[in-house]
Amino acid sequence: MARDKIYLEEEFPTPLMQLWHNFKEPPVVLIGFGCFLFLIALAVLASVITPYSSVENHLDHLLLPPAWSDEGNVSFLLGTDNLGRDMLSRLMHGTSLTFGLSIIVVMVSLVIGVIIGSLSALTSGIKSSVLNHFLDVILSIPSLLLAIIIVAILGPGLENTLWAIIMVLIPQFVHITRNAVTEEFAKDYVLASRLDGASSIRILRYSIFPNIIEKLISQATLAQSAAILEIAALGFLGLGAPIPMPEWGAMLANGIDLFYIAPWTVYLPGLAILFSVIATNLVGEGMRHALKVRKEH
Amino acid sequence: MLIFTLRRFSLFFFTMLLLTILSFSLSFLFPGEQLVNLTGQINASPEQLAALAYEYQQQASLLTQYFSYINHLFHGDMGYSMTSHLPIMTEILNRLPATVELTCVALLLAMFVGIPVGFCAAIYHRKAADNIILAIAMIGYSIPVFWLGILVILVFSIQLGWLPSAGQISLLFEIPHITGLQLIDILLSDSEYKWQAFQDATRHLILPVIVVALAPATIFMRLARSAMLEVLDTHYIKAAKAKGLTFSQIIYRHAMRNAVIKVIRDVGLQFAHLITIAMVTEVIFSWPGIGRWLIESIYQRDYTAIQGGLIVLSTFIFIVHIIIDFVYAALNPLAREPNNGT
Repeated sequence: MARDKIYLEEEFPTPLMQLWHNFKEPPVVLIGFGCFLFLIALAVLASVITPYSSVENHLDHLLLPPAWSDEGNVSFLLGTDNLGRDMLSRLMHGTSLTFGLSIIVVMVSLVIGVIIGSLSALTSGIKSSVLNHFLDVILSIPSLLLAIIIVAILGPGLENTLWAIIMVLIPQFVHITRNAVTEEFAKDYVLASRLDGASSIRILRYSIFPNIIEKLISQATLAQSAAILEIAALGFLGLGAPIPMPEWGAMLANGIDLFYIAPWTVYLPGLAILFSVIATNLVGEGMRHALKVRKEH
Repeated sequence: MLIFTLRRFSLFFFTMLLLTILSFSLSFLFPGEQLVNLTGQINASPEQLAALAYEYQQQASLLTQYFSYINHLFHGDMGYSMTSHLPIMTEILNRLPATVELTCVALLLAMFVGIPVGFCAAIYHRKAADNIILAIAMIGYSIPVFWLGILVILVFSIQLGWLPSAGQISLLFEIPHITGLQLIDILLSDSEYKWQAFQDATRHLILPVIVVALAPATIFMRLARSAMLEVLDTHYIKAAKAKGLTFSQIIYRHAMRNAVIKVIRDVGLQFAHLITIAMVTEVIFSWPGIGRWLIESIYQRDYTAIQGGLIVLSTFIFIVHIIIDFVYAALNPLAREPNNGT
């Protein structure tokens, strides 16, 4: 029998590596993760691999059904919309708008939320109590209403809705960081490094963040599926991306009038949103499952 | 129980304080003149504006201005809508009941469907039924609500023609406005077509309620499932098993009650999410509620309406929140009395 390891050295994987080992166990999660990576690749490469531009009109091919129906044309695989724009290219460009922007939105609010949350975890007394109540109030205002108010202040448009969604997501991250940091601070290993004379910032950087990062990532996936739905909802309501942009929600709103004659202009963008939200949720689900497994051992 | 009530009321007071500060500061943040945003008088003459400025104590400090704003709010004066020139209070009172009706029916439906299904999933943990329920739940809370609304309208009102697709009731019926809640108003009215009107209003209610309830129901499924799993893992269930109780006895007498309590604690948090969904659904089904009115007022830059809507809608959410907290405390003695000896 071959021995691949001569020295019996014990390996201690980092928290992130442990997470990955537990994460890849269930096959459903791996499929979801594959779809997630596929969407990221699509978002990055959209402008290179799409057959047509997202606004190019083919006036002799208006409202062409998808290629598998009898009147379809194989050069427009998923058909065209009322202005003769290729659905496939628009959906692919839309990936970088709806899905790609949701990742950026979540990252920005993650960074801001973690900074505020860890600072607030270090303070105590009346300041933190006021902040806590303030967060509770913000969290219980419906997210769409909050986004609408911010859009009312900044004015409609894709960029302003992104800021609105960032602000809507920040309180969640503040809340979870605050709770996680306070929880970790009570543990003995933090006390040990405190007795070694480490400052609070140093403890945060070297002791606490590596241990709470997976909680933050799992919250980030939740926030991302919310962000996709929110970007699309605001686009659908006409407050986000303007109509010519191939944002999925705006495309759907554009197709509503033609729903009865050309149903594919509505169900394709809807399916795209559903697909990306499910992929994100599967990744999040796997993450939470992995966390639970690790806690049990 | 007294301390519990006092704590809830102090929280409510603090929340209202923050909310009114938020809505007062919005009048500065919105584009345009602050006084005009606060009162909604866009066509006022300079003399009227001066009178309003006096009324809202514009020359005094910010704190005094805020208190005069609060004073106006307590008298039910939220200014005038910039588009319809009606008092915001009237506009809201006309529309809030429709939203209350839609959201409360949807919340009840979501609870009564979601929680039992979640318990089923927990009882059949890691079997086929559990997996199917989990998959349905995943799809249910991933589906974009506006898309679902459109698909439901296409299938059930256009293709099958079973249910109406827009509005709250057919225009043929004339229902006097008593409480504002359509179903109750119909029952209170003495029209000879009362029964037909009630049926018609119910038929109008079915599709929007299902669309609003789907996502919260799937969340309740997951909450109920994990609560039940947690309960089934406790020692008192083991003790009950050791005593020789049958499985159904354990579930009905011991596990179900304790699991329901855990779910009810989280219902309040889901309500804000449900309101978000209801706002979009109101737009799709032309439901004459406050969500659609708010979204329309943003198209028309009606800033006074947005401020009023924020306060009323959030207050509604808080009240539901507090009611659910009280229900939770009534069901769970651990929540209302201080723990002794722990």
